[in-house]
Amino acid sequence: MANTVIGSSIVIDGEITGDEDLVVQGTVKGKIQLKESLYVESSGVVEADIETQNTEVSGQVTGNITATDKVELKSECRMVGDIKAPRILIADGASFKGNVDMDV
Amino acid sequence: MADNTQSTIVGPSILINGNLQGDEDLTVLGRVEGTLSLTKTLNVAESGIVKADISVRNAIISGIVVGNITATDSVEITEAGRMVGDIRAPRVIIVDGARFRGAVDMGDLDAARASGPMPARTVDRSSIVRTTPMAASRPIPSRQSPPRPPPPRVVQSKPAPTSIPVSAPATQKSAAVPAKPMVPIAAKKKIKKKVVVKKKD
Repeated sequence: MANTVIGSSIVIDGEITGDEDLVVQGTVKGKIQLKESLYVESSGVVEADIETQNTEVSGQVTGNITATDKVELKSECRMVGDIKAPRILIADGASFKGNVDMDV
Repeated sequence: MADNTQSTIVGPSILINGNLQGDEDLTVLGRVEGTLSLTKTLNVAESGIVKADISVRNAIISGIVVGNITATDSVEITEAGRMVGDIRAPRVIIVDGARFRGAVDMGDLDAARASGPMPARTVDRSSIVRTTPMAASRPIPSRQSPPRPPPPRVVQSKPAPTSIPVSAPATQKSAAVPAKPMVPIAAKKKIKKKVVVKKKD
């Protein structure tokens, strides 16, 4: 269960890389590069370029997301930036501004 | 997701490079490089590596830390902990087995003693005094001073609590007396080489 959690009062300015799931409840600015899933929870704020396998956004993301598998924008999220992934899900109620590239 | 919202974990395969700040506990199982400032406790687990200038309230080091730590309350290096850098904190605990190289500054010792009770930590404190002959002899300048290599004696002399009378005041004399001449390292190297030469088949 040694999941990585960036708690709600944490601010990271820089780069995060890793091979495991990352849960963001706080703020991350810079760059995120993961081989697994990124979860931006409703309190989470990410201003970063994101490269992951899966990304699930319930909070705020500003930046481009590139996923090898899936990007999911949940209903309460706010996302500004481009998304590139083979599967992209945008739920009813999600706010999103940017380009979508599913590589069709 | 019940109560763990107030704690941050950096998992074993994660590398964070940059500034990290926050108002909650942080447990590092992976790597953090850059600067780190918290108003609560930093916990560097055995697998954790932190190369950063750190400013926290408490730090508990069971992994590896390279960099200076400024703590408003305490810094503890556990028996698995390794640290290179300077520590500036009113309470510094270095337990038997911990490895540390750097300077320790506990601030104004008299003031600290007067302001807060130091609960039953006399054993640890006596062992700490031994590790800081440099700090005792001259005031530590601000942190931008180049980290001058402390006497190797600091690393070599492993704390041996049984040999230290707990009640006796830790005399600087005992710290200043070099326990052994430091030949063994060179001697060991030679022995190793010989072993290598011997191996033939």
